[in-house]
Order: sequence, then C-alpha cells, then structure tokens
Amino acid sequence: MTAELLRGAEAIGLAALMSGVEAYFGYPITPSSEIMEFMAAEQGDPRFPRYRVFLQASSEVEAVNMLMGAGAAGHLAMTATSGPGLSLMAEGVSYSVGTEIPFLIVDVNRGGPGLGNVEPEQSDFLFVTRSLGHGGSRAIVLAPQGVGEAMEHVNRGFRLAFEYRIPVVVLTDAIVVHMRETVEVPDLGEVKSDVGWAVRGRAGGARHLLNSMYLEPHDMRIHKERLSAKWREIESRVKDFECIACDGADTVLVAYGVAARKAEGAARKLRERGRKVGVFRPITLSPFPWGELEAAAEGRRVIVVEMSEGQLHEEVAARLGPLVESIAAAGGEIVEPEEAIARWTPAAYRRYIPGSPRRTVPGVSTASSSS
Amino acid sequence: MVGSVGCSVLAHEFLNVDYVQAPHGRAPALMTAIKLLEPGLVVFSVQGDGDAGGIGIGELLGAAGRGMPVTVFMYNNMVFGMTGGQMSPTTPQGMRTTTTPRGRGAGVEGPPTDVCGILASIEGPAYLRRVIIAPKPVMRNGKVIYSFRPVIDSYRAILSALRTQLMGGFSFVEFIGTCNVNWKMTVDEAKFYAHEVAAKAHPPGLCRDRLGVDA
Repeated sequence: MTAELLRGAEAIGLAALMSGVEAYFGYPITPSSEIMEFMAAEQGDPRFPRYRVFLQASSEVEAVNMLMGAGAAGHLAMTATSGPGLSLMAEGVSYSVGTEIPFLIVDVNRGGPGLGNVEPEQSDFLFVTRSLGHGGSRAIVLAPQGVGEAMEHVNRGFRLAFEYRIPVVVLTDAIVVHMRETVEVPDLGEVKSDVGWAVRGRAGGARHLLNSMYLEPHDMRIHKERLSAKWREIESRVKDFECIACDGADTVLVAYGVAARKAEGAARKLRERGRKVGVFRPITLSPFPWGELEAAAEGRRVIVVEMSEGQLHEEVAARLGPLVESIAAAGGEIVEPEEAIARWTPAAYRRYIPGSPRRTVPGVSTASSSS
Repeated sequence: MVGSVGCSVLAHEFLNVDYVQAPHGRAPALMTAIKLLEPGLVVFSVQGDGDAGGIGIGELLGAAGRGMPVTVFMYNNMVFGMTGGQMSPTTPQGMRTTTTPRGRGAGVEGPPTDVCGILASIEGPAYLRRVIIAPKPVMRNGKVIYSFRPVIDSYRAILSALRTQLMGGFSFVEFIGTCNVNWKMTVDEAKFYAHEVAAKAHPPGLCRDRLGVDA
C-alpha cells in the first residue's frame, strides 16, 4: 500500500482500472463528469491492458443499455452518473435485475428533484435503495464516506455484481468525488469470475439465453422466487456497517456517506465534553443492516443525520418508531449536527425501546443546520 | 442475437443462437457494447417498427451514426402488434388502428416515419435496404397464386447485411410485413395491402451499399 493524494473522481477511476474494468460507457453530467474524463484519458494506459473500450453515449438510456450488453457478454463495465441520469437508467437496471446481468454504476448524488442543483445531497437514497426500476427491481447499494473507501467499494462492487449477477450502485456525492484526500491506495486485485453463463456465441456448446420475460404466471413466479432467494442470500452475506464508540453510549447518531463523517466529528467533540454519543454507519444501504441498527439503538436515543429532506429518517422511524429524531440539511448545505445536539438538553432525550407502541403523533423534533 | 420488445421478442424461439433480451428499443445499444468487447461475434437484432423506429430511434441512430459493425433487422408491420394493434410510427396514412380509429391523419399524429430514409440521412450506415417479406399475391385464371420473388429478395438482403457486418460496416434491413389480425384483414388481403398500398408509399429498394456487397 502506498499513500497518495487523490481526488475522488480519479480514485474511483483508478480503482476500476485496478479491478480490471474492461469498458466505460457514460454520458456527461455534473458532478460526475470528472470520472468519465479520467476514464477517457486512461484509454491505452499500458498498466491496464484489460481496459479497452471507452464510449460517450448519446444519452444515459443508451449508456445503461451498453452496460447491459457488456455485462451480458460477461465483461466488467461501469458508468458514473448523477440523479437525472440515474432516473433514465432505472429502466436498464430493472431489465438487468430481471435478466441477471452485472455492472457497476457510480451515482454522484446532486440536489433534486428535477434539475435541482449540482451541490452534494443524499436525496437519491429512497430511489436507489428501495426499488431502482419497476417490478420489484433491487440493486446492491454501497455508500463510501471518503475517497479511500470509494476505491474499496468500486472493487467490492464489481465482485458482488459478478458473484450475484446483479447491478451494483456505489452511492456517493459531489463532496467525495471532488475532494482530495491522502489515501492508502488499497491493493485491489483484478476481479475474475466465472462467466460461463455469458452470451458470447455458441462455439459448439449449448446456447445461452438471458431473458426477463416469462409470459406464464407459473414461470414468472418461479423466476421471481429465484430472484428473491438470491436477494435473501445477499441480505445474509453482504450487509455491512460499523458502530463507532457505541459501547457505553446513550445516544446513537445514524448516518452514511459524507454525513457520517460529520456525525463522527460531532460525536467525537461531544464525547470530549462528556456526552456519550456513538455513530451507527450503514456501509451497505441495500441490503440495509436493519437488525444491526435495531440492536445498536436499543435503549438509546436515536438521531438520524443526513443531507436530504429526511429520507433516511423516514425509513429509520418506520422501523424504530416515531421517537427517532432527525438532523437534516438539504439543497447542498452541509449538515452540521454538533451544534444542534449540543443545544438539546438531556431532558429531551427520547429512547428507543424495542416493542414499544409506535405512536403516530408527530413527535419528531427536527433541526436543520441553518436554524 | 439481441431481442426487443414486441412480437419480435419471440424470435429466440425460432433461432438457435445465443440471446439477450433488451429493453424496448434499446437493442442497438446492447449490440454496440457486445460487438466492441467481442469483435469476433456476429451481432444482430430483430426489432419491430415501433421498437426500432419509435421508442428506440435514438439508440438506432446512435449505433448507425457510429458505423458500428452490427445488423438491425426491422420487421415493419406498421402497427404495435403485441399490444393489440395500436398506431406505430410507420402506420400508413388512413390506416385504422385502435388508437387511430378514424384512420391515421384524422388526428394530430402526422404522417408515417420512413426509418430507412432517416438512416440514409446520416453518414454512418454502410448498408440500407428495404424489402417486402410477404409473398406477392397474383391473380391468375381467377385464382390467387403467390410470387416468392420478394421473399428471395429478403434472403439476399439478410446475406448482404451480414456480409456488410463482417466487412466492418453497420447494416439495416427493413422488412415490410403484415399483421392481418390487427389490420382486420384476411391473410391474402393483408398481403395485397403490403404490396399494393404500403409499399407504394415507401417502395422497396437499396438505399445504400457502400461496400458493394448487395446480392
């Protein structure tokens, strides 16, 4: 391992190349374009002979379907995009979940809905994690909190995509992709997997069909049951999280990605002032480590820290009940949890008790960074 | 083969080749990636007129514009067949469909699209040809008999298109066909219509043969 000062975009590209990516298909969109430009410049780099195709598509629709073609032929392919582009790619993701075709999408979350702005946000969360595409389509979603982890997630993403034959999204944001960090460049191995299922011409063997259409309800049910069984296996084997300073904590901040770094910083400073604050950070957002979160939340005050209008809070509160609190900043402002938590008095603490009735009264206190 | 959405999605039932099913209209994008990564493969799609000429015209223009050495076979039956006979981009003026009940042209739908003509307007494609795949009904001694010359022309177009791909060029063949069920016609009436009405508006012919392979 060597320490290098890397910008998020080039680190992500470098990680893909180290993983053995063979093709990049993309469409420019701020704030993801630097990844595409890096991959364009890397064409012909003798260090990465497996990387041999770069193509600027005429839309995100075309780009995701090129990923689908590359994945169908058993090759490692990726793109980077942002919310508006990901909306267009949802169709291709659903088809690829249905036909079990692997590829990697890096979503650089910007402000939304609509054109929004190009500032960092975490507002793609529900869209990406709950159902990316129609018909019960679910992709694996990884959420790095910095440049170094983004590299590791690109590699893990390719491995998972090919192990489970499923699209994988690395959900990041404009901060991670644009900031420079000194990272210990991980020793990422090339992703090599058995692609005996791929569509590569028959060469004398049995033909391969990659299909998502089953007109008979019985056949469709069997296909869906197989996909569901695969997802259950993913849930049991892929879930990842960390709980920082949770031992002895009376308060747990729940946050992912860049917001988790803000939460960790706030928790550290609050601990210096004698407050017992830990951080629960989901590393995989789909599948989400719900059981682990419930265990970490037991008997503790739970505060969700995020950079959306409260999407993660909505999910956590649906699981843990309405006492879960929210500190959220959206629109491109950076969430600043420290002040808000310091202001709140211990008397206002609300603890999560498993099995307690889930009140429907609006009992959630919300503080934004600007208030 | 890359499949499409429409009646053509069932083509893999008849052709014993490796197959991946694309989203509606997107086959040329999948083919582009497959060909770039597996240049030794012969890559083709079977698409309908709604798939290739409507929802997928962008992906078709993308692959054609780049001159990708792949082949698109577009079966043009002038309606959305699988969904029950709605108007397609190539539905002829005046044809009644379930979404043009007073005939195309009575509403705001505008005239039909000439997909082969659109492709002929860009530099990328190497081979463009329109054929009629339906046998031609001919009256002889008061009886209907069929001329199979158009079908033989169709075979030749397929061979020429694949030869173009092997020589490194993009190829496209439009097959004017029939859908007598959705046209509310008998089989013979539909064949007459394809030859005497539809093909009069957009006649069969060779639009482009840059590599000189047409058979």
